[in-house]
Amino acid sequence: MEQAAQRPVVEVEHLNVSYGEFQAVKNLTLRVEQGELYALLGTNGAGKTSALEVVEGHRPASSGTVRVFGESPADRRAVRPRMGIMLQESGFSADLTVAESVRLIGRLSGRTDSVDRVLDVVDLTRKAGTRVGQLSGGEKRRLDFATAVYGRPELIFLDEPTTGLDIQSRDALWAAVGELRGSGSTVILTTHYLEEAQQHADRIGLMHQGTLRTQGTVAELTRTLPAAIQFSLSPGAPTPPLGAAQPEGPYRIETFELQADLKRLLDWADLYDVDLHGLSAAPTRLDDVFRAIETDVAPTPTR
Amino acid sequence: MLISNLIMPLLASAFFIYRRDAFAEIGSLGYIAAVLVFTVGAFSLYTTAVTTLAARRQDLFLKRLRSTAATDPAILAGLTLPVALTAVVQAVAILGVFAAVSGHPANVTLLAVSILATFVMMFALALATAGLTGSPEQAQVTTLPISLLTIAVASWVGITGTESLTLLKRVLPGGSATELIVHTWNGGVPLTESLPLLAPTLAWVVVAIVLALRLFRWEPRR
Repeated sequence: MEQAAQRPVVEVEHLNVSYGEFQAVKNLTLRVEQGELYALLGTNGAGKTSALEVVEGHRPASSGTVRVFGESPADRRAVRPRMGIMLQESGFSADLTVAESVRLIGRLSGRTDSVDRVLDVVDLTRKAGTRVGQLSGGEKRRLDFATAVYGRPELIFLDEPTTGLDIQSRDALWAAVGELRGSGSTVILTTHYLEEAQQHADRIGLMHQGTLRTQGTVAELTRTLPAAIQFSLSPGAPTPPLGAAQPEGPYRIETFELQADLKRLLDWADLYDVDLHGLSAAPTRLDDVFRAIETDVAPTPTR
Repeated sequence: MLISNLIMPLLASAFFIYRRDAFAEIGSLGYIAAVLVFTVGAFSLYTTAVTTLAARRQDLFLKRLRSTAATDPAILAGLTLPVALTAVVQAVAILGVFAAVSGHPANVTLLAVSILATFVMMFALALATAGLTGSPEQAQVTTLPISLLTIAVASWVGITGTESLTLLKRVLPGGSATELIVHTWNGGVPLTESLPLLAPTLAWVVVAIVLALRLFRWEPRR
């Protein structure tokens, strides 16, 4: 019993997914621990949807093993009552009402909950009797989220959860996710909004061309690339220190010691009485890591 | 859907029953019964099941249901059971009217078994055809070959019998089922000769299920 409790919620080992000759996922290995929010990000066609579909149990693996709660994800009766899935596209029957849709999918998932409570979480109470076909795109996404969190599942898959949502709905969705995580739920997220992953994920995996190029916390990922200091100088100013380069536009210093090098630069400017026009110092962002992956200068996986 | 599922088979059946004397002259009462069964099987069951599954796949409802704990057979049963029940009720009602105006079938039990076997075959063919059908609109085209073929075979076998080209007529989809329905309605054929006619129909069920397992898709092609 104790051993089972210590197992990761999701274990993927050497997963390969192929469509004919095309290999969508290559030798993917990852683990998601209980209570984690793991974001799987990637470029278009990186293979993250194919990988997640295997983990969700929607698609068989070409090779490799996938375990969810220690079970095969294809064993729906075993895993689905513990797992909520928010699909990328809704797929509800247009003729059913919002409340009927939540009740149908929730009950078929083998979980129990109050439809009213779930609709309140996603602010769809007023639309309970409305047919799904009459909902807006954002309302359909909220309905999708409602079916995923029905019964407060232990594991929740969120596939592009905030696409099409307004700011208020996004905040409400993340508040609901935070509440579920507070009660121990594990979340696996895919999104194109890197700032959301950076803000909410405990760990992030970055996929490109079918392989997991790197994974780790935001701090672990961003410290593998240098931060940047940028500034411009007046004509006739002395040559700046720290190997500042000026291929075109402002000077740029790339550094892994942002604070120390920024102080050195300011000291130099003081010493020579130089104005640093448009001075900016930006830490490495997830976007930079993402772009590095796209241009194949990605750091190696951290863990 | 309303046209293929209800209006078309009812209109065709009404025509066959109204002109039953003329059709009985070129075939037999059993021939009319077989054509009525295949009209319902081809339109109410086969075409409607293909259209339903294609529509549910296209709007991703199949994928949505597969994200629950429901098994694949349960999902298919849930979506197609109303279609199958409607077809059975229609067949019973239409044949009931036909029996009331032209006389009862000779062997009701075996007739029921043959209708059931026919409908299982048409349903299995629907699963296979749904795999080749991307949308409800496409279903109007993809269902034509089998629906027209089975009705044509039923007419051919029902009118000409199986004295000539026996093997060919029996192995065609619906051929042996038609012969069995004709026997059970008209009577006069021993059970030992009629029962083996279930075998080719069940063989088509197996063929259709094998095809369905290879062809059926739960999501639209990406």
